[in-house]
Amino acid sequence: MRKTLGIMAGAALGVTFAGSLAVAATVRVTVAEYSSKTGPYFEAAAAAFEAANPGTDIQIEVVPWDVLLQKLTTDISAGTNADLAIIGTRWLVDFVEEGIAAPLDEYMDDAFRSRFFEVFLSPSVMNGETYGLPIAASARAMYYNRDLLEQAGFDAPPDTWEELAKTAAAVSALGEEVYGYGLQGKEIETDVYFYYAFWAYGGDLIEADGTSGLDTEAAYAAARLYKSMIDAGSTQPGVTAYTREDVQNLFKQGRVGMMITAPFLSAQIKEEAPGLPYGVARIPAGPGGERGTYGVTDSIIMFENSQNKDLAWKFLDMIFTTEWRARFTEGEGFLPVNKEVAAMPAFAENPDLKVFTALLPEARFAPVIRGWEEIAAITVNALQAIYLGEAGVEEALDGAAAKIDRVLGK
Amino acid sequence: MSPKLRRTILAWLVLSPLVVTTLFPYAVMLITALKPATEVLTPSWVPSRLAWENFVEMWEATGFGRALANSLYVSFLSTVIAILVAVPFAYALDRYRFTGRGWLRHFLLVTQMLSPIVLVIGLFRLAAALGLVDSVNSVVLVYGAFNIAFTVWMLQSYFATIPRDLEEAAWLEGASRTGALLRVFLPLALPAITVTAIFSFINAWNEFVIALTMLRRQESYTLPIQIFSQVAGRYTVEWHHVMAASLAATVPVAIVFSWLQRYLVRGLGLGAVK
Amino acid sequence: MRRSSPLVPYLLVLPGFLLAAFIILWPLVQLGTIALSEVNRFGQLRGFAGLANFAAILEDPEFLAALWRTVIWTVGIVFGALLLSFPVALVLHQDFYGRGLARVIVMLPWAISITMTAIVWRWALNGESGLLNSGLRTLGLLDTNIQWLAQATTAFPVQILIGILVTVPFTVTIFLGGLSSIPEDLYEAATLEGASAFQAFREITFPLMLPFLNIAVVLNTIYVFNSFPIIWATTQGGPANSTDILVTYLYKLGFAYGKLGEASALSLIMFALLLMFTLLYVRLTARRGEDVA
Repeated sequence: MRKTLGIMAGAALGVTFAGSLAVAATVRVTVAEYSSKTGPYFEAAAAAFEAANPGTDIQIEVVPWDVLLQKLTTDISAGTNADLAIIGTRWLVDFVEEGIAAPLDEYMDDAFRSRFFEVFLSPSVMNGETYGLPIAASARAMYYNRDLLEQAGFDAPPDTWEELAKTAAAVSALGEEVYGYGLQGKEIETDVYFYYAFWAYGGDLIEADGTSGLDTEAAYAAARLYKSMIDAGSTQPGVTAYTREDVQNLFKQGRVGMMITAPFLSAQIKEEAPGLPYGVARIPAGPGGERGTYGVTDSIIMFENSQNKDLAWKFLDMIFTTEWRARFTEGEGFLPVNKEVAAMPAFAENPDLKVFTALLPEARFAPVIRGWEEIAAITVNALQAIYLGEAGVEEALDGAAAKIDRVLGK
Repeated sequence: MSPKLRRTILAWLVLSPLVVTTLFPYAVMLITALKPATEVLTPSWVPSRLAWENFVEMWEATGFGRALANSLYVSFLSTVIAILVAVPFAYALDRYRFTGRGWLRHFLLVTQMLSPIVLVIGLFRLAAALGLVDSVNSVVLVYGAFNIAFTVWMLQSYFATIPRDLEEAAWLEGASRTGALLRVFLPLALPAITVTAIFSFINAWNEFVIALTMLRRQESYTLPIQIFSQVAGRYTVEWHHVMAASLAATVPVAIVFSWLQRYLVRGLGLGAVK
Repeated sequence: MRRSSPLVPYLLVLPGFLLAAFIILWPLVQLGTIALSEVNRFGQLRGFAGLANFAAILEDPEFLAALWRTVIWTVGIVFGALLLSFPVALVLHQDFYGRGLARVIVMLPWAISITMTAIVWRWALNGESGLLNSGLRTLGLLDTNIQWLAQATTAFPVQILIGILVTVPFTVTIFLGGLSSIPEDLYEAATLEGASAFQAFREITFPLMLPFLNIAVVLNTIYVFNSFPIIWATTQGGPANSTDILVTYLYKLGFAYGKLGEASALSLIMFALLLMFTLLYVRLTARRGEDVA
């Protein structure tokens, strides 16, 4: 028995030593997996960097999006976080307030700064300091199926929500298996899918007094619009079972007249449904002519406790060069964040992307508030109750607003 | 009609609802895995052609080979650990009456009461304290520990069926206690240990939450999380690859089961009951 | 036994005990520390909080709702699996053609991780692209597609059904072990005395199977109570939290909302609930003469 114990202890020791042996110049990068291309892209970048800087070791840790926040939390909690990590910019304020993200301004000169479009860099600036670089950027626009709209008697995509509701009803009337408006009702960005209409009706997520805007007329009107479309059969049935990906799948099959999503759908259609006659248009306007798209960036941040900040920065510097940015942006189907990348023919002459870029001036980003994920969850719950008919519009939204105010500390 | 034939018909009739529902997910996997990429979203039960190339593509696209190697490594090593500590544990529980014996059995039950998801943060801090984060060896240790209760229960029930007289006879012939253990008891217990080991192996093979938390680089991913990463939050999911991969990960276990089923029936549960 | 030092059994159990205690009790202590502390978004301790985290959980209406659903979930799956497994085990204990194959099929859900099973079901339950709807339509059992996961009234029963399916292999295995431990001569004696098959079942099979039934109840309750992947992979507890059970609520609390203090407190509450249930159950069955575990 003592022998067994000895072997066990020996094995455990050996393992511990092996774990702590590391090259001096190591930079660990936690990377969110956007698609099957993400991992290989970063591995290639790491290899190129290591070749150019002998003696360095860039370790890429690819994490599925759904568990990214969990991974980061456990990592930081145990003090084993990487040197660099991709995060949703909407989480950044928590990282900054807890002193986890390091300010990057001391590394950035004007030439570096001018590589970026201001609109994408500014969400990562807090209290005058830059805490993250926009690694991925995207906006939302309306995709529509030309054939379905034509069959229903519409030559052009709707420009207001009122028209959209009419168009959707007409498309749904075309047949059993065809639906007018693809409405997302489950999982990530279900709240955002509602904000498109909410913003168009003049709403704001956070009012001037710092409270939630969900208990306003704009929110009621937008929710009523969606609910009436569900009841009229203008959307696909069972919206609360549909994630963004599910709705996109319906669109790719040509079974949905219109939906709102990000540029990457164009890239998917090109590969999976090349024959689909689709167009991309602005998100419809509300009665007051207002409209808003959702602008979203993911940031790559440097951890305050990183031991290799200079080397980590050097790696950042490389992946934000035009060459590497172009490869990433094209592979994943995001919007260019570098001006030079945007000017390249592959992006500048892409008609779909042009629509998205044109929308950027009216883009709204997630507000800089703590607890974004909890607020999103509260909103989604209220919306699902409305979509299912389990709660009235005002009742559900007022309740959600009260809960959000508590999260906001108001 | 012979009685056995009648029994056979009746038995399959009774089992048929369960058999159908059990096989349904496998049918879904198989059909989706064999559909050409363009047909995956169409809910037809018969693909226009059998796209066997999906399996080849999947192997590349999902990094199946490396994950397979990791899974084999983790499952094998954690099983070795669990068996090494569980054999003496079970032997002591079965062959000795000692103070604290009842308490130990309760302790084993309590270790099963804490699901990994509940312990995730604590486990991760433990791995961090040991310097084992992102090491597949941290997963090995944790699996080993979580499998102890199960393996002890199974082994103990098998050990109870090995008559004491044989060992006692060996002592009378002058063999030392350890000698009797090694020459008489262990050879008799070997089949039981093998079966238990296979169970421990399968548990580790399928484990998900711990691996998801502990492992961070794809080089160290095991099969379940490698497959999961194909569906978790990507902008588009290649379902035919996912299903092909799940199927490929199941087949080896299913084959082992077909060999194992005649043994496993005897042991499980007994140890925990007695 | 003779010739052995009283220390021997302790030395034999020591390595296993130490390993299990180290991996399982140490994290438990960590959980306790976090639960009693003020914790920031990232699990870093920021001071002593007393019982504030526990109070926050108990005051949350979502906790009670999730607790209630956890009870339905656990009872539904544990009893569903028992009711299904008992006859299945009785059948599989008979000698018939293809028994080996039948056993393998019944064991099959065990051959794949529950997470993967749940992902496959999510795909199969998809309203428009799912093979379940299209299969039921082909068989004429369904006119229009059902959006299974769109509302709790269909989603939760389906989730419980999946839970039962993955619990059956383990339960059947326990029962088969029990059936094979009943000596054949008992039945022979009963037949000689003129007992009917039903009487034999009631007087011999059932009482002798009770301990196995009990162990199945206890272990399944523990596993099902803590089971995360089925609900998470299919609905993430939605829509509108209507399929949330305690584990999924715990996961959201800890990792989406970043309330790690409250999540740790909830973990301990859940542990206490299970412990209480097990002690109570063991006490009750022990009084009737059977000893569980």
